[in-house]
Amino acid sequence: MTVMLDVKDLVAGYGAVQVLEGLALHVNEGEVAVMLGANGAGKTTTMRAISGMIARKGTVKFLGNDITTTAPNEIVRMGIAQVPQGRGTFTDLTVEDNMRAGAYIRKNGSDVDADMKEWYDVFPRLRERRSQKAGSLSGGEQQMLAIARALMSKPKLLLCDEPSLGLAPIITQELFTILGRLNAEHGLSILVVEQNANLAVKIAHQVFVLETGTIVASGTAEEIAADDIVRKAYLGY
Amino acid sequence: MGEFLQYVINGLALGAIYSLVALGLVVIYRGTGHLNFAQGEMALFATFGAWWIYDRGVTMWFAVIIATVFAFIGGAVIEFGLMRPAGKKSPLAVVVVSIALFQGMNSLTNLVFKESSDGVTFQSLFPNEPLDFYRLSGETIWRFQDLGILVTVLILTGGLFLLFQKTKVGLAMRMVANNPDSAKLVGVSTNKTLMLSWGIAAALGAVAGAMIGGLNANLNIFTMFEIFLLSSAAATLGGLDSPLGALVGGLLLGVIKSLVSNYPKDWAGSGYVNATTAVAAAFVIILIVLVVRPSGLFGSSRVERV
Repeated sequence: MTVMLDVKDLVAGYGAVQVLEGLALHVNEGEVAVMLGANGAGKTTTMRAISGMIARKGTVKFLGNDITTTAPNEIVRMGIAQVPQGRGTFTDLTVEDNMRAGAYIRKNGSDVDADMKEWYDVFPRLRERRSQKAGSLSGGEQQMLAIARALMSKPKLLLCDEPSLGLAPIITQELFTILGRLNAEHGLSILVVEQNANLAVKIAHQVFVLETGTIVASGTAEEIAADDIVRKAYLGY
Repeated sequence: MGEFLQYVINGLALGAIYSLVALGLVVIYRGTGHLNFAQGEMALFATFGAWWIYDRGVTMWFAVIIATVFAFIGGAVIEFGLMRPAGKKSPLAVVVVSIALFQGMNSLTNLVFKESSDGVTFQSLFPNEPLDFYRLSGETIWRFQDLGILVTVLILTGGLFLLFQKTKVGLAMRMVANNPDSAKLVGVSTNKTLMLSWGIAAALGAVAGAMIGGLNANLNIFTMFEIFLLSSAAATLGGLDSPLGALVGGLLLGVIKSLVSNYPKDWAGSGYVNATTAVAAAFVIILIVLVVRPSGLFGSSRVERV
């Protein structure tokens, strides 16, 4: 099995505040990896460090290439798309322009249009609202748009930062079903960061548990579910 | 009625120039969230450049196009060399640097073009002999120069609109204006996009400078000061992030200024309303608009659902 994303000794933070202290995790090709962690554990910082949005030390390797010093707008060209926390929708742009924004690194053409049609089929609400400004969408619709936008760049690896944030349980469930399908049907590798552990672990192959800047437990979804301490702390039963 | 129409027509030309400078302000504001205080003085330097090139014995159009190209490059260099390093320090540093640039470009103009303190004669881009006009009806006329300015500005605004809405570069500019972090995540180089914005703004300023020079038949070190003041007012009136607002705001201000400086004079018989009073009246109207609509006529008041 090929390791797609390999992160070692990752150190990152904001100014003088160091959040990550030597974090290590990996995502295998064709798998879903889930990182669990409480508020303030460093989940978003990890995502921003991988996608190059903040300065980082250590090694981040993607498909064998070291991307530790690569700029975010280059990293997306290599095949990593990030759905940022809080969705990062272009609120003043229409839904369709958001989709086109997602395809920014690709040449305009028929295959971009075909992809847009494909993702509109997966997210029919977006098609209905394609000429509306994205800011007028509901939270769930914006999250779907954020995922669809990321998919428009034809990524090899999708990073999802707390997709359930601020959404109703039923919408969250729908989202994770879609993420699971993207992995199963399209072979997309995914790294999801979540607080909602129960749903996330269901679609996961690998699980990493993050506490104050380091990974404290990791293993397959079954192993993690079998670990009493982790189960009590994160799955709540 | 004919008189009213004439005042409106006169105001449209000056207003179109305000619009053009305001458009430059909007392009930079959308990208950076800052008002570029040096917009007028950057244009002043470029326009003196055009005058110097024209003085070498080429046509005015050629001179203005060359100066505009150089202004574009200069604007990009200013973003790269001054504004970007300042932006890394703090937002306040950007404001201070932009005010320093306002003073600096004025002094540089004076240093490079000694003639600027006395002023120079500036050739209009458009036919401007006494009989170069269309007669609309009766005594109402539309001078070729006024018409030329308005049409040029409308064409440039239309071009800018197409750039924003129909091209990938324009999409990138709208992305950076709306959400710079997300723009990076989809692969946009925000640095290049901001350089482009500054280049476009400086180029628009150069064209505006050439047109006000032609309208006044004169160019001097103070020319752009009042233009900048009224253009930033026009941009505020239209809504600082709206190109359409800049266009409408500029034209409105030009017309208001023209009406106010002409009508009271007529009512009072021999009364004299100077330009300053007209400017003051324009500002009162802006104040009223902003009290009713704080984000300007076309500005987006950001409403976001979370």
